[in-house]
Amino acid sequence: MIQTWALLVDAYRELNSRKLFWITMLLSLLVVLVFGAFGLNPSGYSFLWFKFDHDFLNSRIIPPTKFYKFVFASIGIPVWLSWVASILALISTAGIIPDFVSGGAIELSLSKPIGRVRLFLTKYFSGLLFVALQVGAFTVACMLVIGIRGKSWEFDLLLAIPVVLCFYSYLFAACALIGILTRSAIAALLLTLLFWIFLFALNTVDQIFVFQRENAAQRIVSSERAEKYHLRIAENQLKALKEVGTPLTDADGRLPSGITDELEAANPLLASTRKNLEEARESQKMWVRWTRVVAGVKTVLPKTQETIGLLERYLLTEEDRNLLSRQEQYKATGTVESEAEDGEPQDDDFRRTQIAAEEADKAFRERPVWWVVGTSLGFEAAVLGIACLIFARRDF
Amino acid sequence: MGHAGSIIVDAAIDVRDVHKTYRGRVHALRGVDLFVKRGEIFGLLGPNGAGKSTLVKILMTVISPSRADGTMLGGPVGHKGTLARVGYLPEHHRFPDYLTGRQVLDFFGAMSGVPASERRKRAAPLLDLVGMSDWAKKRVKSYSKGMRQRIGIAQALMNDPDLVVLDEPTDGVDPVGRRDIRNVLQQLKDQGKTVFLNSHLLSELEMVCDRVAIMVQGKVASQGTIAELTEHGRRYEIDLACESAMAARHFASMVAGPALPPGAEPPLGAIVRVSAAPDVEASIERGTLILRTTDSERIQPVIDEIRRRALTIRAVRQVRPSLEDLFMQAVVDPETGQALAPGAARATKPPRSSTQGNGGAA
Repeated sequence: MIQTWALLVDAYRELNSRKLFWITMLLSLLVVLVFGAFGLNPSGYSFLWFKFDHDFLNSRIIPPTKFYKFVFASIGIPVWLSWVASILALISTAGIIPDFVSGGAIELSLSKPIGRVRLFLTKYFSGLLFVALQVGAFTVACMLVIGIRGKSWEFDLLLAIPVVLCFYSYLFAACALIGILTRSAIAALLLTLLFWIFLFALNTVDQIFVFQRENAAQRIVSSERAEKYHLRIAENQLKALKEVGTPLTDADGRLPSGITDELEAANPLLASTRKNLEEARESQKMWVRWTRVVAGVKTVLPKTQETIGLLERYLLTEEDRNLLSRQEQYKATGTVESEAEDGEPQDDDFRRTQIAAEEADKAFRERPVWWVVGTSLGFEAAVLGIACLIFARRDF
Repeated sequence: MGHAGSIIVDAAIDVRDVHKTYRGRVHALRGVDLFVKRGEIFGLLGPNGAGKSTLVKILMTVISPSRADGTMLGGPVGHKGTLARVGYLPEHHRFPDYLTGRQVLDFFGAMSGVPASERRKRAAPLLDLVGMSDWAKKRVKSYSKGMRQRIGIAQALMNDPDLVVLDEPTDGVDPVGRRDIRNVLQQLKDQGKTVFLNSHLLSELEMVCDRVAIMVQGKVASQGTIAELTEHGRRYEIDLACESAMAARHFASMVAGPALPPGAEPPLGAIVRVSAAPDVEASIERGTLILRTTDSERIQPVIDEIRRRALTIRAVRQVRPSLEDLFMQAVVDPETGQALAPGAARATKPPRSSTQGNGGAA
């Protein structure tokens, strides 16, 4: 315990000596000040002493507490803490492990009565102190802003501390492994950033594929509706044609090219509708297959964005999200008709896209926490295990 | 308990058959046997690449041996718990720049498991001991090399160790500082602590060490007290005035060497026999007669003979080889006269499988 505490105190002293730590802290403070400078009033919103009228962004529609929570969960955490502050944190902490294992420094630590694995893991966790302090300070400051300006003390905001720490620990584990392997702070930083970009790209691909899957599902729904509509018309027409004795086949008794049955012959639009439905089903099958492949790949990798997304999942209710989302605004205007005046279903791309996006979003939100966090922590544990093994067996 | 001859002696370090082969089959240690008694100052010397630092790092668990047998302070080599009783100053050490001298002592004391109250109590006297009290609150980055060495020695003593391992402790230290460090080492010895020194500065070692070991090519070439090691090289040297041809002839006639024509001078360095003391091995070095004996009685007939032949004696002295002589003797191939290659050469064949190692993470 004496040694663990000494390593933590040393980590704090190290951070304290780094200018970047204080620069990041200062920038966090500025972000909180900007956050607090925004205000909502019944006619619109204000920034500092400037007031702006707005039909939607006002305290009559959005209660100030919800507004601040939304900004915190949708911008403060995902944009500031998860990107800007995390990049600064990586720059600041990437050198911790390479410096630790550099010649002249490591001999002293290894010659002490502390096991190598414990030594390495304590050093790793002390490296997370940077982010813990940053996110802790930022979250508490934001909580104060919401408490003072929104007149509501939102203690659930503190959930941001473990969530962001968890997210950063995935990256720092990779950084530690690269640091052990290369003993170079620059290599550790650049390769970790590359890894992070890869994870971001993979998540984007996942989002696109899930959206395409849901879009295909929506196309199936609209195609099925169109098929049903045209089938009804075809049945009526067929009946009418049979009554007047109009032949549906040629002299040889064959149906026209591309037509499979009498119904399609009676209503040629039914054939194209059926074709569309078939294509939509094939498309969905393909996207289901690809989303599974991507999900499989993601299972063994850390899910950085989805981990951060948990915060929004827990801080904002569906009602909050609907209130603030464009989708709700779009729905509220009621400008899109689902059917034309004659009752024919319209394949409205915009609406279908909106619904598919909503469904994709829902699919992401429904992913179990154990999968998002558990498998990511599994990756982290595996990476740290490899790093520990290398550290424990290496001659310095 | 270790062994030194037939006497059972409590050993601080008693290692046998230590091997280390790095990747690429670089065989750094080739079976080192080393014995350090408790309470003595022990010096380890050897040329660059002899394997001294590798041996020290194995003892300090910084690297794992390919094979090692033995104990340090009674615990097996590589046992982490034993290190709580060992103080260590590595060569080319680097303390965190953001720490002050006092914080360095506190941090490494804590890493050795010393409680905070003890650390507070010990820091001031140790800073005083190494003459760094005035610099205790200054950051290490502002220290000179010598000051870093002093702080390094102080941190090695924070856990009140039974064994202090110092790798080049006087590196970069000025003469006054070196004397101070020697005094510190003497104080440690007086307190009953064992000091293990690894140094290139032979004169420093000679001044403070009770026993030394010379490592060459990954093996201990010799070890013992300085008196024991220099016993073989002790001799008497008689400087003669024999510039004139007659004196040279007289001198030559006094000695006899292999295939030496009558009246001819023996070649320099050749082993000769002096007629007055035929059982004493002798040689000639530019007018100096060297008699390899420590017995003053045995050189008296030789002096009488020189006198009888009316040769002038300029000086008679008893000579004991220095540590440097021993060192040079050990590192030079006696056949070729060339310096031996470093021990860290590629092995001709892989060593046997490991029988004991610390695994790096014991």
